[in-house]
Amino acid sequence: MTGAAISIEHVTKRFPLKGQSAGVMALEDISIAVEQSEFVALLGPSGCGKSTLLRLVASLERPTEGTVSIGGEAPGSLAARHALGVAFQDHALLPWLNVHDNIALPFSLANKPVDREAVGGLIDLVGLNGFETARPGQLSGGMRQRVSIARSLVLSPEVLLLDEPFGALDAVTRRQMNIELQRIWSRQRITTVLVTHSVDEALFLADRVLVLSARPGRIIREVATPFDRPRDPAVMRSATFHDLVDDLTDALHPTDATAHAGR
Amino acid sequence: MARFFVLNWGILLILVAWEGWVAANDFNPIVMPSPQGVFMDMISNPGIYVENTSVTLFVAAVGLAGGLAVGTGLAILTWSSPLLSGIVSPTAVLFSSVPVVSLIPIIARILGYNMATEIAIVVIITFFPSFVFTTAGLRDLPHGSQDLFSVLGASRRATLRRLALPAAVPNMAIALRLAAAHAILAAMIAEFLMGTTGLGYLFAVTKQEFLTERAFGTSVVATAISVAAFLATSLLERRIRARFT
Ligand SMILES: Nc1ncnc2c1ncn2[C@@H]1O[C@H](COP(=O)(O)OP(=O)(O)OP(=O)(O)O)[C@@H](O)[C@H]1O
Ligand SMILES: [Mg+2]
Repeated sequence: MTGAAISIEHVTKRFPLKGQSAGVMALEDISIAVEQSEFVALLGPSGCGKSTLLRLVASLERPTEGTVSIGGEAPGSLAARHALGVAFQDHALLPWLNVHDNIALPFSLANKPVDREAVGGLIDLVGLNGFETARPGQLSGGMRQRVSIARSLVLSPEVLLLDEPFGALDAVTRRQMNIELQRIWSRQRITTVLVTHSVDEALFLADRVLVLSARPGRIIREVATPFDRPRDPAVMRSATFHDLVDDLTDALHPTDATAHAGR
Repeated sequence: MARFFVLNWGILLILVAWEGWVAANDFNPIVMPSPQGVFMDMISNPGIYVENTSVTLFVAAVGLAGGLAVGTGLAILTWSSPLLSGIVSPTAVLFSSVPVVSLIPIIARILGYNMATEIAIVVIITFFPSFVFTTAGLRDLPHGSQDLFSVLGASRRATLRRLALPAAVPNMAIALRLAAAHAILAAMIAEFLMGTTGLGYLFAVTKQEFLTERAFGTSVVATAISVAAFLATSLLERRIRARFT
């Protein structure tokens, strides 16, 4: 078992905004406990504060109120130990490095020798064989996202934060990447928080799915997935899976649900 | 051959008109030499031209390298510390706005009337674009990369070496292009005012001695190397930009 538990306690995040004296309330009094080696997925409408939540855990933002801690430490100490893996919404690749060197960057920044086997294995995993020496400018948006996912995994981090990592992928590749990620996750069991807009993806990958309300984000629904690991892609065709999809879709679109009920 | 005429017809036209104008008025070569006379002087005295051109190119190149190094060094200082930035930036602006001609006697008093002073002048002229562009380049980072380095626990040093400096390289290439032509001009001015060799000195002496054809020849060479330096550095800049962005 690897990983560290994440604890978000009564966190409120307010951003100052010109013209609004109160600022923008992105998150209000939110509490989430992610256990060690747990995979949690966050669903919620655009602008509800999902990325903000991940940035708080990554210590890129400080909470206005409340506390965030990882394994009992301040979130910044995890980054300082080079034990945090992050794939952001924008891939943040360095344009002057090729695919291999972008993926190997975390080694250099941690002052560790580059594990070429690990890098090669991840290139294989994300299906970028033959593109090792290509630079980001020569890749498609989806390929860049895959490089950024490989980079987030290369140091076998204690905590993995993924912000819509498959957003730019076509349905087939996305499904393939979901299956691959599920496979390596089941082996490594890194404490993971995934932000996604895909209900299927959340259910297939996570142990627990949280649905956030529109801004300011609050948890309005929580579902524990009952599927064994490692997961067979066949679970996505099971009746339980479909029921949970409907359940979460309703939670995400309350107006639709009311419309259905009224009919 | 036809391509040569297509590309250079403007220059050829000027040369022909100039030759015709000098012939029509029957000017004395001291007053206004003909292109033919200038050309003859150049090919019959290659040693003088080659020697002085090499000296000027040497002064310009060493001074340019020094200027780029000083500019980059100062930019890194301002990047590392806001406190130093408050001292370095105004001093650099002040230094770059003093007319260089007025600095020559002071520098010559310190370094002597020699090549060291000429190189120092070139450094003073060329460090500023390098400083300004590199300072901006160190802060013009790829989107999200700063957050990435912070999340990966990069030290300040590693952030400079692996993020800020590579990100500044295209801007450094712009500075090189701008400074290269200035370096040759600065070297020639220094030689003109206080030198004992080089194209600037050659121009000063031949003008004084009414060797007008040679003075014109010197100008032709100076123009040619400035244009060559500009073209070479433009090419380099394009290559670097393609590699780093
Ligand atoms: N740096 C910032 N300054 C001001 N406001 C911000 C900042 N970052 C986020 N916000 C605001 O906080 C709210 C939540 O933003 P966030 O990026 O967390 O949303 P999100 O749930 O990730 O949305 P999406 O699904 O579109 O990515 C938004 O209203 C946004 O305008
Ligand atoms: Mg977001």
